[in-house]
Amino acid sequence: MSLTIALSKGKLLGGSETLFRRARLPFPEAEGRRLVAALDGLRFLFVKDMDVPTYVEYGVADCGVAGRDVLLELASDVYEPLDLGFGRCRLVVARRRGGPDPRSASSLRVATKYPKVAAAHFQRHGLSVEVVTLAGSVELAPGLGLADCIVDVVETGRTLAENGLEVVEDVAPSSARLVVNRASFHSRRDEVARLLEALRGAAS
Amino acid sequence: MNGTAHSRAQVPPGVQCFVGDEARRRRRIEERVVSVFEGWDYEEIIPPLFDYADVFAGQALAPKTYSFVGRDGSLLALRPDFTSLLAKVAAGRLAQRPAPIRLYYSGEVLRYEPPKAGRQSELFQMGLEHLGGGPPAADAEILAVAAECLEALGVRGWVLALGHVGVFNGLLEGATADAGTLESLRERVDAKDAHGAHEALSAAGVGREVAEAVVRLTSLSGDASVLAEATRAFAFSPRALQAVAELRGVVDGLTAAGLGAHLALDLGEVRGLDYYTGLVFRAYAPGLGFEVGGGGRYDALLARFGRPMPAVGFMLGLDRVALLLDRQQADPGPAAPFAESVGGTDLGAALARARGRRAAGARVRFDHGGPR
Repeated sequence: MSLTIALSKGKLLGGSETLFRRARLPFPEAEGRRLVAALDGLRFLFVKDMDVPTYVEYGVADCGVAGRDVLLELASDVYEPLDLGFGRCRLVVARRRGGPDPRSASSLRVATKYPKVAAAHFQRHGLSVEVVTLAGSVELAPGLGLADCIVDVVETGRTLAENGLEVVEDVAPSSARLVVNRASFHSRRDEVARLLEALRGAAS
Repeated sequence: MNGTAHSRAQVPPGVQCFVGDEARRRRRIEERVVSVFEGWDYEEIIPPLFDYADVFAGQALAPKTYSFVGRDGSLLALRPDFTSLLAKVAAGRLAQRPAPIRLYYSGEVLRYEPPKAGRQSELFQMGLEHLGGGPPAADAEILAVAAECLEALGVRGWVLALGHVGVFNGLLEGATADAGTLESLRERVDAKDAHGAHEALSAAGVGREVAEAVVRLTSLSGDASVLAEATRAFAFSPRALQAVAELRGVVDGLTAAGLGAHLALDLGEVRGLDYYTGLVFRAYAPGLGFEVGGGGRYDALLARFGRPMPAVGFMLGLDRVALLLDRQQADPGPAAPFAESVGGTDLGAALARARGRRAAGARVRFDHGGPR
């Protein structure tokens, strides 16, 4: 039985492919890529960013590549033995440029794709917030009056600027992580260790 | 009146209902496990379904406990686990019985928990406690019993992953960091995230030697060679070294008994730090993404009930065993035998025939077609 690896179809796909090729590990060709592909002793699942940790936690996949942002949001019970070094970004609080400081507001509405991260962040600061969960285009919310601020990931900050937003504070840094199912880590120790070593070498 | 509207067929989340073959399968699993427990001379205990809430207090389970007020105003709780109840009985009703006391249980516990990854609000646990024995002998004994349970169930490729809470706690002995910082460090070590552990340590304000050793925990897992590596890396911490030596005693014993190939060391196993005091372990097998059972040493619990003594135990989750056997397509025992149909127009004669066939050991379906 070969190891099953869950990969994001989204923003971490390119970085994953580069890393696997550098590590001389198999990786399915982009041409006509299927959602499930077997190649040279590895089996690949291509799923949504937010779903990678779930496939790994339940053991449907032995390993996966997931962003730390997503792992924080899902609080998945998986091992994260390797920072893969790509997909670097920051989870931040952002507001309309020049708008009031959300940290001094008495009540606050926050739009985000990361409801748990956002709620926990403001609770740590003693603020009670109403979290509006969106599936995308979060940066539109403040300008349209849906929310006072947002919690979202930024890489360069260009999208924020284009939408008239600015960063208020950082919540957490993020990058791509190799995640491993707890049972697989122990019961398929040698196979997992080989994959880990290959990726560790390529990531450093 | 009902709090929320629901249909007549709806079941509250977190509870299950088993019928026919499913129920039979679970009963077979339970029989096999219990016969192993009995085989190692553990005695069954059937504790009450609820007890005073303070029996279960002081545990991580407290927020997940269903508690309610009794008619006399006392605070009661549905049992969220068996161990506290067994400790109470060992210190109370069995106070005159000399240690060690070996007890086992098989039944449901109830926890307020959203269903996730094989966890339900109603969990069926089969487990045992060895009360009054220290390491390595009692630890090795219960691991051998756990091993035999997995063998008896026909589980393939099972592994017992062993750790010891004295490693993490010993390395950080005397650290002055606040509880929140230590918890985020523990959480990163638990995730085997070396980078994250390193960052959390910088906030903990510990020395370089300690910091390096703690980061090392994230990669100290594998075969028994991990123990030699740990002995070198933890030379500065007597408590961590003692923990490693305890594990070594257990591993040597089990290896000599032929179980070495099924053992994995995991010195980064840091769950249940405030409850366990020594060995901690989890049983894993291919096909199930989470542990099928686990346990450890909890030497501080019995003192709470007034009879201080060392204790070690483990349990298997019946739901998880059933799921694992299903995934591994392992047969937990023969299906129900074919039922003979016994009937006729004369009710008395039909009943007599059915009783005769029953006495001969047949499975009988009573098909008397008389007036209803």
